[in-house]
Amino acid sequence: MARFNNKQRKKKVFVKPIVKKQQKKQPNVDHITGNKIPKSFVFSRGKLPGPLRQLQMDLRKLMLPYTALKLKEKRRNNLKDFLNVAGPMGVTHFLILSKTETSPFLRVSKTPQGPTLTFKIYGYSLAVDIAQSQLRPRCPQDLFKNSPLIVLSGFAAGDEHLKLTTTMFKNIFPDIDINTVKLSSCQRIVLLNYNKDTKLIDFRHYSIRLQPVGVSRRIRKFVQNHQVPDLRNLQDVSDFVTKAGYGSESEADEEAATVTLISDLSRVNRASTKSAVKLQEIGPRMTLQLIKIEGGLCSGEVMFSEYGNGGNKEKPGSRDGNEREDSENDNKMEDSDEDNEAEDNEEDTEESEEDNEED
Amino acid sequence: MVMMMEGGSVGAGKRKRNMGKKKAKKSKNKKLKMLEGKGKKFRVSKKMRNMFEKRARDYNSDDDEEDEKENTAEKVAPGDTWMGGGGDGDNSSEESDGSEEEEGEIQPGIMKFTEGVRAFRLAFKNIIKRNVADDSLGPVLSGHKQLVAKKLAEEEAERKVKGEAKKEKHLVAEKGHLRPANYLDSNEKFLIGIATKGVVKLFNAVNKAQKAQKGLDPSRSKDAKVIRKRRKEAFFSELGKTSLPARDSSSKGNTSSDPRNDEGPAWAPLRDNYMLTNPKLKDWDKLADQAIADDVGRMSEDSGSDGD
Repeated sequence: MARFNNKQRKKKVFVKPIVKKQQKKQPNVDHITGNKIPKSFVFSRGKLPGPLRQLQMDLRKLMLPYTALKLKEKRRNNLKDFLNVAGPMGVTHFLILSKTETSPFLRVSKTPQGPTLTFKIYGYSLAVDIAQSQLRPRCPQDLFKNSPLIVLSGFAAGDEHLKLTTTMFKNIFPDIDINTVKLSSCQRIVLLNYNKDTKLIDFRHYSIRLQPVGVSRRIRKFVQNHQVPDLRNLQDVSDFVTKAGYGSESEADEEAATVTLISDLSRVNRASTKSAVKLQEIGPRMTLQLIKIEGGLCSGEVMFSEYGNGGNKEKPGSRDGNEREDSENDNKMEDSDEDNEAEDNEEDTEESEEDNEED
Repeated sequence: MVMMMEGGSVGAGKRKRNMGKKKAKKSKNKKLKMLEGKGKKFRVSKKMRNMFEKRARDYNSDDDEEDEKENTAEKVAPGDTWMGGGGDGDNSSEESDGSEEEEGEIQPGIMKFTEGVRAFRLAFKNIIKRNVADDSLGPVLSGHKQLVAKKLAEEEAERKVKGEAKKEKHLVAEKGHLRPANYLDSNEKFLIGIATKGVVKLFNAVNKAQKAQKGLDPSRSKDAKVIRKRRKEAFFSELGKTSLPARDSSSKGNTSSDPRNDEGPAWAPLRDNYMLTNPKLKDWDKLADQAIADDVGRMSEDSGSDGD
């Protein structure tokens, strides 16, 4: 009945929680730092429309390699099912996407009893959208082999809930030991920027690229691309090498962003030479607002709520009686009256249906 | 109307039909054509009658009465079916009008058939004429026409409603989904700048730390101690450095970086909060105002446990 295969490190199929065979196990404990490696599940509650399903896939890719890329969920799966599987697999965090009438929501929670942060997604862009908007989208093969770095900014050491947010996000990604880490393995970075005025958190995902600095553009391109340059108009090779090309706008920024490499990263980025750090955006882009913090896993005491509303109601689409979500309630405060009534009616009917079902 | 088709008069009713059957029944058709065309029988029967009279005279030249009788009888005999008129042909010229009626009586099927044919022809013509003026729906009976029109209208309405419902669904599904602009927004540039700074700091810190232990082999215990010492030193110096640029930028009065500088360097592990999570690290507070990395904390634990 239940099959649970752990075929490869990155691909896990989930039907019901029975552990069958584990051929190649992902390390649970980081052999360097001695800490437990945090692993995550990214899934959705309720039926998601098209773009949101894409967003879910993007988030899964973001969390690689310590996540289940091909996690399969069924409608009848409850949160309990996921919890049951999370235990033996060593999964520490859940990222749950859901959608109501007004907007999608993202919940970040720590298993098994950890706190749950609920974010309202004001706007999101998919990875494909971003790739389309760029002139030269870049996604090398081994970009997702290592987990990303995380940068949190703007979370002023102030409110409790912000602190909890920062700790939560820090713990989602595995730590790095700066003494032994290889710079070549740090290829992605996740940025969370908090804007005090609007209370919005910007979520960005970049890929890191090192470019040797101090070398003229032409030579660099020539070396990198192996394209034979056009020497028709030149008298001498020295012209090609020493010609002062125009400086691009970004070169000024590079000055501040140079690092000195300790080892050879690649043919062009050699040790003891200066290289510039260049970031290019990949992956999804989100604008979040922290709505609620609950003490339990999608349940429990509400420790912080943006709108001061403490009621608990059933979320449409979920069948687990233990699950409660305040999002509809919160929406009441923000949205127009039209939405209000529609949602209330919806909620009420759904609630009664749920009760009937349970009975 | 009795439209009985007796043997020979297969095509009797219509000229059209007879066109195709010339070869088979030449003689008969001649007569029939003539019959139809004129609608009178006595001419045809007259010729035939003369012929037969000649034959009869040649054969039996004795009796005149008998001739007449024979004529009539002979006439009747060969042209049984279509010589309905012929039978009475003797009297046809005189009794032409009457003969028709009589012929009708004598052979009722044929007379009525031709008349019936005429009537049918007229009726059919009328119907054909009428249907030419029909509209686009085609030759449809009036009641059915209305039904068809109603159905079409219903389908249109249905389609419209469905289309609108679909559009609404699509809108709800796409809610919140934004397409990013083609160029780099100023906000985006700002964010990339923050991220870059963080990365640069991290890389520099890593470089420093790893440089410190470059020449040493971690496995050798003696060197391990040296490594640890150097790491600590390098890190402290690095942290001291990192605090400076943060302060400098804050002095510039850059509003965007103000909220950042409240908590120090952008890179999370280098911030104050890390310290708070681990009680053992509280001592670090005195050494540097700014952050202390998580890793450093761990390192110090290691070194502490190993017993320096």
